[in-house]
Amino acid sequence: MTSPADTEEAATKPNYLKMLLADPLAFIAAIVLLVVAFIAVFGRQLAGPTATQGDLALSRLAPFSTDHGWQYFLGGDLLGRSLLGRLMVATQTTMSVSVPVVLISLVIGASVGMWAGYHRGWRETLAMRIADVVLSFPSLLMAVVVLYIFSPSIASIIAILAVTRIPVYLRTARAESAELQSRVFVDAARTFGTPSGAIIRRHIFPIVLPTLLTVATLDFCYVMLAESSLSFLGIGVQPPDVSWGLMVAQGRDQLRTQWWLSVLPGLAIVITTVSANLLASWVRLATDPGQRWRLTTPRRRRRRRAVPVLEA
Amino acid sequence: MNKTRTTALIAASAALSVIASGCSVANSGGNGSGAASGTLRIVLPQEPPTLEPCEASLTATGVVTRSNITEPLLERNPTSGALEPKLATEWTQTEPTLWTFKLRPGVKFSDGSEFTSEDAVKAIDRTANNTTLACNVQGYVFGQTGPLTLAAPDATTVTIKTQEADPLLPLRVSFIEMTKRDISTTEKVREPIGTGPFKIASWTAGQKLTLSSWDGYWGAKPAYTTAEYQWREEGTVRAAMVVNGEADVATNLGADDGAGDTAVQYPNNETTALRFTNDQAPLNDIRVRQAIDMLIDRDGIITSLFGGLGKPASQLIGPGVIGYNEAMTPTKYDPAAAKALVDAAKADGVPVGTQFRIIGRTSQFPKIAESIELMQSAFAQAGLNAKIEMMDTSAQLKYQLRPFVPDAGPIALMVMHGNQAGDAAFTVGQYFATDGAQSTGGTPDLDAKIKAAAPLTDAARQAAYADVFKTQTDAVRGFAFLANMEAVLARAKTVDYTPDAATGDEMRLADFKPKA
Amino acid sequence: MLTFLRRRALTSLLPLLAVVLGVFVLARLTGNPAALYLPENATAEAREQFSAANGFDKPIWAQLIDYFAGVARLDFGTSLRTGEDAATMALRAFPATLQLAVVTMVLAIAVAIVVGCWAALRPNGLADRVSGMLSMTAASVPDFWLAILGIWVFAIILGVLPTSGVDAGGASWVLPIAVLMVRPAGVLTQVVRGAMISALGSPYVKVARAKGASEGRVVARHALKNAAPPALTVAGDLAVGLINGAVVVESIFGWPGIGKLMIDAILQRDFAVLQAAVALTAISIFVLNIAIDIGYALLDARVRNKAGAAA
Repeated sequence: MTSPADTEEAATKPNYLKMLLADPLAFIAAIVLLVVAFIAVFGRQLAGPTATQGDLALSRLAPFSTDHGWQYFLGGDLLGRSLLGRLMVATQTTMSVSVPVVLISLVIGASVGMWAGYHRGWRETLAMRIADVVLSFPSLLMAVVVLYIFSPSIASIIAILAVTRIPVYLRTARAESAELQSRVFVDAARTFGTPSGAIIRRHIFPIVLPTLLTVATLDFCYVMLAESSLSFLGIGVQPPDVSWGLMVAQGRDQLRTQWWLSVLPGLAIVITTVSANLLASWVRLATDPGQRWRLTTPRRRRRRRAVPVLEA
Repeated sequence: MNKTRTTALIAASAALSVIASGCSVANSGGNGSGAASGTLRIVLPQEPPTLEPCEASLTATGVVTRSNITEPLLERNPTSGALEPKLATEWTQTEPTLWTFKLRPGVKFSDGSEFTSEDAVKAIDRTANNTTLACNVQGYVFGQTGPLTLAAPDATTVTIKTQEADPLLPLRVSFIEMTKRDISTTEKVREPIGTGPFKIASWTAGQKLTLSSWDGYWGAKPAYTTAEYQWREEGTVRAAMVVNGEADVATNLGADDGAGDTAVQYPNNETTALRFTNDQAPLNDIRVRQAIDMLIDRDGIITSLFGGLGKPASQLIGPGVIGYNEAMTPTKYDPAAAKALVDAAKADGVPVGTQFRIIGRTSQFPKIAESIELMQSAFAQAGLNAKIEMMDTSAQLKYQLRPFVPDAGPIALMVMHGNQAGDAAFTVGQYFATDGAQSTGGTPDLDAKIKAAAPLTDAARQAAYADVFKTQTDAVRGFAFLANMEAVLARAKTVDYTPDAATGDEMRLADFKPKA
Repeated sequence: MLTFLRRRALTSLLPLLAVVLGVFVLARLTGNPAALYLPENATAEAREQFSAANGFDKPIWAQLIDYFAGVARLDFGTSLRTGEDAATMALRAFPATLQLAVVTMVLAIAVAIVVGCWAALRPNGLADRVSGMLSMTAASVPDFWLAILGIWVFAIILGVLPTSGVDAGGASWVLPIAVLMVRPAGVLTQVVRGAMISALGSPYVKVARAKGASEGRVVARHALKNAAPPALTVAGDLAVGLINGAVVVESIFGWPGIGKLMIDAILQRDFAVLQAAVALTAISIFVLNIAIDIGYALLDARVRNKAGAAA
């Protein structure tokens, strides 16, 4: 980040909004995610009663018609509830599972990983072996076993998914911090007697963060898929709660007759994760001084520009 | 279809045809040309865990074993309910506690050995009396009867002495499949030898089970010489296999599984109901239980969720079972009256807002989760507070069977009961008696009626059990019945077969014929 | 190199034991399976008899000792459900999953290398953006959903593939593998692309270019070699994750593999089979991890040197 190779960009503080506008895909992705976040918070109020109170007369109503009000634009489910409303309510559940899982595993995994990588030695071995244990057992099966012991609830789903995802962050954070702890600036801080916690916080954490955030975005998608697989096996989110994964799982029997019941929530998962991924790759570019030129340089000029020299 | 996927698929198919040819898993036990005439290909929901004949009351085992590999002495006709001769030609109640069975002469096991009374005695003893084996049939059919005393006076006669007079003994005996005298009495046998029209040709665990007919079977030779069983968990996949011509028959389908014009509808003997813990508030008030009963939109569930499969149920058994009360009618869906009942109970100090759990077993029947969700929503609108919990079989059984989970609180448990035997005795003792294995309600009066009905026969028996069902509903109301279930069987156009109420438990290959 | 491997093997044995132990304890916590295996109205004595016969009445540590004593004799116990030897069942199911996993990973890696390199040649170009979108979509599609959709489209509507099963030769493999590889291929493509972009910008590639090496040679010989280690690590994790996919895919396609065996064993509380299957899976993951370490060491001289210094 402070290497001399990128003086050109480092000289001026990067304008992130301008960079975002320069990348139309990332811009759309950001808007999609904002909408998702908005629905996650206010969706239940917006959707109204048709999302939870069914009318069997509207059971399996076909989509793309507003004859029964805008709520039924995407059709009705088996119980005659509006699919659009269900999707909005489900957004909240899906986010209230995925976001905590990613945050919890990120915080725990990153802290332990940086600590282990910084200190090396037995701490590193211990942390890595524990991570190996978790990773060497298929996470879905582990979740299945655990959810049979502690009956499935949103809290237990979050807990078990977080445990299975911690090693991912732990490994990444450890690898980076193990590499950084031998660098000159860390050595210097150590020589001045800075306590290890402070070194990790001030010198290692800021450098590891972009990588961790990228991993977290990718993982966000994984968690949503894991939740839908659990619902497929009947131990995910439990009705009357509803999540996108549960909707995909419950609608799969009707795939041939009422395709929208399963396809539309599936699309919601795909659109959200693709948006998150697009934004993640944009963040990766925008925070990497060596790559940032791709966002700031106008497209037509790029062809003539030489590939920049990166630090080795 | 995106480009990456297309490329991947092409690459996959090209690479795979090479790789797969050298793979052991791709080499099936069968001849591969399943469509050849003479082979019937059946796809079941699950692989039989074993073909052990004494476990034949387990659906997954019985559907393959019963009357195909092994046979019982007599057999209940699922349509008429009458007992018909199989390996026994006649049976008489020589004394109140003694039954005598005459065996069919000239019957052979598929290994060529003679079937005699000694085999029959061993088989009955092994199934009904052997407690180390703890066979499923024993628990299901002989649970309350106590050990039987068996004898074989000559090679074609078997006598069975019961501890009390038992008019149902022949019916119970119809559940016992005949095995050879030298079959293990300490271990269950995965691949039995029987007298049935088919024997096990090969069983590649996890993939395929093949039965073949054999010369020397005592009865008529079946139309198909080979039967291949496969198993797929997803109903949509089972249906697709028949539609796609990869199988001839698929069982246990729902209305939405996509069997198309191969679909044949049949009643599958099962009845679904909510069972209440009658002693826990708020379910301890009969008005609350009645209200719940009125809040179940049976017609709506059957039409919108089951796709028209099933009939609203008024009692725990279906028509055709001895003891079915024709006079009872399904409760009408009436949210207003239900609300009034709840309000009345509330006015009397019943804590109607106390939360109770609705417990269901995941995929016990198609659309179970949606059905429960619909009920829960209706309960909530009437002022009741229910929480849904779906469990897997093992966890749900802890709530369904004694010993129950202690301090579990108020529960409305979704149960599905199949009376395979065709007599109410196999239902009421378990579900309605105060000490029944699956009972959470009951009264001394009802217990007395159940006990009094047991030794009766014919019309008196029918009337007595019909009264038991009526009393249960009026005075105890331990259940809110949902539906007498129906299922769909997918049948290829080349196959002639009519499913009946017993098809799910016992699928006689001899009844299948190629369509001319 | 050898000391490095020996050290790695020894430190990995501990996780292996921990997994087996953890599954044993967790499985026991899901409860006594008596209700599942006995008739509905079995007596209390019958239940006790069942528990005693299968050792479920003993305290958990005693069961554990019994179990490890059995494992030492290579006896994993008998299946409650089928009465067969648990290890036999696990070993029988294992090759089916292994073949599926190997073919899936090989194809996923091939797709990822081709698409990833192509995308990396001109970052943010049209090819990059399109393949980026596709790989992201691929990485975020629920597998069970894709499986049912695939059966519907290719077996029912088009009629070109069998719906399920293993006995239609090569055609049986197409759908299960296509479904299984979508996610790994998507993730790996992104990883290869990222690694290739940094490799293509690195000094030695510039040197190679300056020396006049052709673009194809630069990509194949120099850049790809340096992009391989991160891809290999991710591929290893994805291979472990394939078991998750295998559970779902094997159930739907009737594939007689170990994923299906494990999930059935959990649902049926068939502890002996679950433990045998988990032990076998853990051992193969253990072997896989070592193989990845070897591959990593061979590819990356720096790791080899560091490890040599550490040992």
